[in-house]
Amino acid sequence: MKKLLKKSVDIAIIGAGPGGLGAAIKAREAGAKDVVLIERSEEIGGVLPQCIHNGFGLHYFKEELTGPGYIHNLAKKAEKVGLDVMTHTMVIGLNKEKVLTAATKNSIMEIHAKSIILGMGCRERARGSIRLPGDRPAGVFTAGTAQRLINIEGNLPGRKVVILGSGDIGMIMARRLKLEGAEIVCLLEMMPFIGGLIRNEVQCLRDFNIPVYTSHTITDIIGRERVEGIKFAKIDKDRKPIPGSERKVECDTLLLSVGLIPENELSIMAGVEINPLTGGPLVDENWQTSVPGIFAGGNVVHVHDLADYVTESSEQAALKALQYAEGNVFEGKRKKVIAGHNVRYVVPNGITGNNPVDIYLRVSWPAKNVVISVGEIYKKKFDYVRPSEQIRLSIPGEKLKKLDKDLVVSCEGEEEIFN
Amino acid sequence: MENTECIYDVIIIGAGIAGASVARELSKYELKVALLEKEADVCFGATKGTHSIVHCGIPGNRHTPLRNRGEIIGNLMMEQLCSELDVPFQRIGKMVVAFNEKELGELKKVEEKSRRNGVIDLETITDQARIKRMEPNISDDVIAVLYTKNTAVSSPWGLVIGLCENAVANGVELFVNTCVQKITVDKEQHFTVQTNKGCFKTNYVVNAAGIYADNVAGLIGDDSFIISGTRQQRMIMDKKCKGIVEHLVRYLDKGSPTGDFICPTVYDDLIVGSKVEETEYKGDVATTREGLEEWLVPHCLRLVPILGPSNCIKPFAGFIPKAMGENATGDYWIKPFPKHPRFINMVLGSSGFSASPAMAEYVALEILPYVGLKLREKKDFNPIRKDIPHINEISNKKIAELINKDPRYGRVICRCETVSEGEIVEAIKRGATTRDGIKFRTRAGMGRCQGGFCGPRVLKILSRELNKPLSEITRKGEGSIEAPYKTKDLLNGTKESRQ
Repeated sequence: MKKLLKKSVDIAIIGAGPGGLGAAIKAREAGAKDVVLIERSEEIGGVLPQCIHNGFGLHYFKEELTGPGYIHNLAKKAEKVGLDVMTHTMVIGLNKEKVLTAATKNSIMEIHAKSIILGMGCRERARGSIRLPGDRPAGVFTAGTAQRLINIEGNLPGRKVVILGSGDIGMIMARRLKLEGAEIVCLLEMMPFIGGLIRNEVQCLRDFNIPVYTSHTITDIIGRERVEGIKFAKIDKDRKPIPGSERKVECDTLLLSVGLIPENELSIMAGVEINPLTGGPLVDENWQTSVPGIFAGGNVVHVHDLADYVTESSEQAALKALQYAEGNVFEGKRKKVIAGHNVRYVVPNGITGNNPVDIYLRVSWPAKNVVISVGEIYKKKFDYVRPSEQIRLSIPGEKLKKLDKDLVVSCEGEEEIFN
Repeated sequence: MENTECIYDVIIIGAGIAGASVARELSKYELKVALLEKEADVCFGATKGTHSIVHCGIPGNRHTPLRNRGEIIGNLMMEQLCSELDVPFQRIGKMVVAFNEKELGELKKVEEKSRRNGVIDLETITDQARIKRMEPNISDDVIAVLYTKNTAVSSPWGLVIGLCENAVANGVELFVNTCVQKITVDKEQHFTVQTNKGCFKTNYVVNAAGIYADNVAGLIGDDSFIISGTRQQRMIMDKKCKGIVEHLVRYLDKGSPTGDFICPTVYDDLIVGSKVEETEYKGDVATTREGLEEWLVPHCLRLVPILGPSNCIKPFAGFIPKAMGENATGDYWIKPFPKHPRFINMVLGSSGFSASPAMAEYVALEILPYVGLKLREKKDFNPIRKDIPHINEISNKKIAELINKDPRYGRVICRCETVSEGEIVEAIKRGATTRDGIKFRTRAGMGRCQGGFCGPRVLKILSRELNKPLSEITRKGEGSIEAPYKTKDLLNGTKESRQ
């Protein structure tokens, strides 16, 4: 892939992670001539180059790969189609007219694109946004930042670690640090259930004997210059610490795995409407945002379970972005798709009913023997659903033919009760 | 490093807002001045925890004439000072609110006191429609406000850094990581200031050590005051809240216009404060669950209902020192130590940032000459200091010019605040050796992701530019190493034996 500076393009893709990279390859494979892929980091791959654990590519490549391995495979595909990537290039401005401002070592440039794909992915929720009280010493990191420090820079954040949050990245870092000889004092999770995939619960926590406390949160961080300890307590149904349950442990590092938020600064700059439930852009069945010609794929829309799905959804966005660049404006009145009972969010948020569509959702609370219904037009049964597992419903064309009102997606069943 | 042969005219202890202001003031005169700072960088003490408000003289309930006067004059001087030093400054005005008739009565009393203190651009507004036009998002329950035009906002660390850079450019010597351990006086009233980095001999000392001013004063036998003070918890709200309030809006607190507030900053974010309380030990800047969730959040919502807690990107706390003692009134303690009058104590406190330009002149031009210091104006004093160029603030054309000179200005390291590698390297050239030093000079790490993306990259740049391994780079000086071990260190027992 040769580096490229251009002024005017058909499709500009922001972010060369598993989403953006997949989108760019697909666009080229489908015949797009002028595609530019813009990446702020030194290398392509998004967050995957630092994900040295395996579990990537099972669906997309039918192989079990590490993060770097997955990107390596995509890079080979990119090579085949001749793809131009601009690394070390940060998009610092974006507007409704689809003009990007990008800063690189060589210049600051304006890129005019016929269509744009947002592939900026997510960022981690930081200590401040959960208002974790206490001192503010060195030694508090989000889990992904710690992962970059270890796997890319080769430095360990500490030797005696507490982890807050049982999202996938928290669990993976528990194992990673243990393998490096650190002591994992405990992993704390506010909810009564583990937040990430079962696979990680087993392979990272249980297999490595990490002490786990659900329904617990941190009440204090101690240490002036560097973390010296934390206090944690059990919480009640209102998420308030239960008096008397507070304990103190010594540690020198606190990792936070408390949520991912779509990186939507550029989206907001461009006037794209944001879905308050996901933090990402509202999109329709074509992955198009509220700004015509600006599409979005991957984690910037909603947090996917697997990089494989990120690539797949971004590929779909790419095909639509290409059609738009070629003059197709995707007419059709859209009906809303709304999150109903026990559904945290749904994507897409508006559909015409003219085409079969995949609806993605996550539930808010674990439940068994459920029926998920999409308005009155579609139903599906599940034995067990949990927030950590993204659900995809493939709605066939005939069910959508008589679409005449907004669709509420609900999940009815036996919701788990935890003591 | 022994300096006993070379005698300084003035040694200033502490490079916070007080010490830095005096240093810059003294740099206008033919004097040999040293500024000593015990932390790894300037502004690493109380000043960095302050909010950025430049008050305009509306007094609180206590009798603090030095502070009240200082605020008015400081507010008038600050704009020109910030302009000379290329530090952000913005006049936004202030509204103290009343929710009921009783509070309206209190507002009227505050207005009277303010006029007596010299505040002129002041009015009590009871026209609720007008209040809503000025601040559309303020609570509907506000029935009146005391409005004043001159309240402004600036940048506490920006000003301290600007003052220090200009002072140094004009001849002041700055020593960081330099902690005063002992002070002796000889027969000629020369002080010998012993530090961990050597001895300094001087004719005059200005004790601007903030939270530790009593410890420093104790070294010379001055026990006339101790430092107490309060911890003040605050929250920074996301930049996307820009415009939710345009003025500093503030509650009354028992009739004093010093209640909780919401205020825009010069950086487009908002600051919500303050939970004020005494703490077990001075300098405690921990935030607490009660302070944030049970005090700040509900008070914020009551005043501006749409400003919800999910907008918070960083809660923090500052410690505002105050000199207390038998003869202390709670006002600033700025006076010579009677036994050794050439040792000047300079403890500011609440509104210290606002009053600092006036207090610096008071120390440099009144007190020091009164106890013997001769001032001869420097003919080549240069008042102008230029900040590091920030690509976040300039046009694309200017960014292109910068990139032409140094391509690193095109490489963005901090996404949230759009900070380039060029700025970070320049910050290191100007004295930053820690991650916080970079943060205060460039804003890298102050945005909504709070350093999640830029953090490792900033550490790497520091490591490269300072020629130190990444495992030695600190957050804010000794004791705060960020990533202390290399991979495999723990397994190989390279650093310390495994537990």
